[in-house]
Amino acid sequence: MKKLDIFGRKNANTKSITSGLKQVRVLDGMPMLIACIVIVAALYVLGAAGVLNSNTQRYLLKIFLYCTLGSMWNLMSGYTGMTSLGQQTFIGLAGYSLTVMTATYAMSYWVGFLAGTVISAIVSLILAIILFRMRGMYFAVATWVIAEALRTFFTSWKFVRQGAGMTVAARPYPSTTTIYLIALTLCIIALVVIYFLLKSKVGLGLTAMRDDADAASSVGVDIFKSKLLVFVICAIFTALAGGVFYLNKGSIYPAGGFGISWTVSIVFIVIIGGIGTMAGPVLGSIIYVILEEQLAKLPGGWTNIVLGLIAILVILFLPDGIVGTLQKKFNFEILSQKRFSKE
Amino acid sequence: MTTVIQMLINGILLGSVYALLGVGMTMIFGIVKLTNLAHGEFIIIGAFGSTLLAQALGVDPILTLVITVPMMFIAGVLLQTVLINRVMLQGSEPALLVTFGLSIILKDAMLLLFTADARHANVPYSTATIRLPAGLHIAVLDLVVFAISLATILILTLFLRHTYMGRAIRATSDDTAAASLMGVSVRRTYGIAMGIAMATAAVAGLGVGMRWTFYPSSGGDYLLIAFGVVVIGGMGSIPGTLVAGLIFGLAQVIGGANYGMLISYILLILMLAVRPQGLFSK
Amino acid sequence: MSEPILKVEGLQAKYGDFLAVESATLDVPKGKIVSVIGSNGAGKSTLMDTIAGIHKPSAGKVYFKGEDITGMPAEKIVLRGLSLVPQGSRCFVRMSVEDNLIMGSYPKHARAKMKESLDHVYQLFPVLKEKRHLLSGSLSGGQRQMVAIGRVLMADPELILFDEISLGLAPTIIKDIYARIKEINAGGTTVVLVEQDTNRAIRTSEIAHVMLKGRVVLSGPSKELGEEEIKKAYFGL
Repeated sequence: MKKLDIFGRKNANTKSITSGLKQVRVLDGMPMLIACIVIVAALYVLGAAGVLNSNTQRYLLKIFLYCTLGSMWNLMSGYTGMTSLGQQTFIGLAGYSLTVMTATYAMSYWVGFLAGTVISAIVSLILAIILFRMRGMYFAVATWVIAEALRTFFTSWKFVRQGAGMTVAARPYPSTTTIYLIALTLCIIALVVIYFLLKSKVGLGLTAMRDDADAASSVGVDIFKSKLLVFVICAIFTALAGGVFYLNKGSIYPAGGFGISWTVSIVFIVIIGGIGTMAGPVLGSIIYVILEEQLAKLPGGWTNIVLGLIAILVILFLPDGIVGTLQKKFNFEILSQKRFSKE
Repeated sequence: MTTVIQMLINGILLGSVYALLGVGMTMIFGIVKLTNLAHGEFIIIGAFGSTLLAQALGVDPILTLVITVPMMFIAGVLLQTVLINRVMLQGSEPALLVTFGLSIILKDAMLLLFTADARHANVPYSTATIRLPAGLHIAVLDLVVFAISLATILILTLFLRHTYMGRAIRATSDDTAAASLMGVSVRRTYGIAMGIAMATAAVAGLGVGMRWTFYPSSGGDYLLIAFGVVVIGGMGSIPGTLVAGLIFGLAQVIGGANYGMLISYILLILMLAVRPQGLFSK
Repeated sequence: MSEPILKVEGLQAKYGDFLAVESATLDVPKGKIVSVIGSNGAGKSTLMDTIAGIHKPSAGKVYFKGEDITGMPAEKIVLRGLSLVPQGSRCFVRMSVEDNLIMGSYPKHARAKMKESLDHVYQLFPVLKEKRHLLSGSLSGGQRQMVAIGRVLMADPELILFDEISLGLAPTIIKDIYARIKEINAGGTTVVLVEQDTNRAIRTSEIAHVMLKGRVVLSGPSKELGEEEIKKAYFGL
């Protein structure tokens, strides 16, 4: 049976795999590498040397964390077709691990991060067994339901003081500069991991699977193992970002940690920047943090209304996001995951 | 024994509301093949509509359906034809994300318009109960909402079975291309399906407003119940929706205030993992 | 010959970059049975889908009763009296047989006569009357084809396109269905039969068109086309 579009019309304009004879310039050679290194080095030096005031550092560290979250979500949804609405599961688990480790057991916040990472990795492995049986919207909503179930559970769990929440009690409490450097490092590691993962055989298999399930099996990649790998990596990095976020914030409560607002922010970042592109979430997180700060100045709670409207307009009129649209228009790709695209 | 029967009664009464919450979502799921993440907000809009109109006009909230149902129907048709049909051409995931965006916008818009205060649709018989033999009792309010829910689902079923439009909706959900060969405009059918879904959300909102207090942010809770009912009942299946509503209602009554939702969620996740096509689909 | 009821001129249809119908030109005279034959992948089904409006053409023209219907959506074409029985019947499997048939009288002009049309279809296919309350998904392949044909008759069309109606059916059932098609044609309805089974198509039709690789390569009165000639056109020798 030939594929029909949703209106039952056999579509004459479906994307074809063979198209794209146009030369695509891939910006990932020496100059790009040098540019990246310069930017990263500048961010480290400026942060560590105390040139940036703590407000700027807060701004930037938020960008780093959202960039990590967005890039990981993009890896799942944009590259492997697993659209999750429940990454807050891992953010909440990590936030609570950090808080419980530091407040209840008086341990260092590094132990808190470690606990959050290990717990998230284990939980993601268990969830994968359930979630990988589902596809598309079932997967999306199931991830959300899981986060909601955890929120409900934490709200009535006495050990974590139920709905009232807890305060992070790291001693000594790290300075903003320290948190800034941790967030920057985390973001860079996350991007490097994603880049090399996508360039590996696993990544190729996954993008092939997203585009065409039959073609993927011919690539000879074990799809289940590859998806599992991506899912667990995303859980770990999402947990780390969540941990650092709550170290900066200082307190957590169930409706915040496991709240759907996390997914709102993440989806916005990826949609605006460009789903399925390396640079999209980076640009998206910068725009998001700036917008959020500016919108917070408005009277009343307009933030989500404006963000939601922007996201819908972008989906309607720029379905490839800012980076995706620019790339298509000018035939280039920043750090392409396609190893053979130069041929 | 009495407690068990009482729980069963309460579960059935509650389950009828849950089925009503899910019925609009199951239609959209089955016909338009779309997960409408804004369905919870639609329900809360219906709840606000009925509550505020009843206050302003000084009438029984049930009478406000005369206004809210047609309004929500028109809103649904417009939403589908102006926005969602367009996005769906890009695929199902962008459409899912658009309804997600809508849900966020509507929630915060209601917060701005109506404040975060708890609301409730007051009725004169809110505390009346009917005493049955053996110490059993039924709240009149719950019984009224039960009747409204069943009547709505019955009307919808009759409409789908016995009218040309109803048949066209079912045919479209079976095979869009074949339906268009029969002279059915698929886009228009989707619009009407969304209109009907929103109209049922208006009635469901009334039920929510009469039975519970609600906030602008309550949509998420009801969306998840609706989704659970859809998944357990099987998408697009109205009889399935009734049974699933019942299962959820009983889970809630047995689990109580603390664990009712948690049990429902776990039930839902297990169901998704083991039998995602629902109990009543082949 | 009088003005044809259906005229197709240089019609082209694609799936993505794949050219399924390159350039098809054919006429269908009013009141006749016309066959379109060709091997698997010759573009016959795509041509039918494109004429009926469930596939968008990328070039060419389709005229029905003198009106340009090129690119018109299926739901509008059917109102004008052109119906398609698609390949594989495509019944509404979760609806009863009778509901399937009633769907056929969805166009406004057909609704008033719904009861009569239903009787007519039940007369043509008595087995459907017996099974009218069953889900069409529970029927056999042949009965599903009957539902699909009956469904189309409900709108009282002037032209019906039958796409590979015999595919996967037992010979006795095929014979029965072809007899009904002749009956339908005798009632004044123009018929286009798409077939892989060349012999049956030639025997049944008055005019035949042979398709090869997305083109109509041979057309003529069925009786005058020699077996050799058809074979050559069919295989592109």
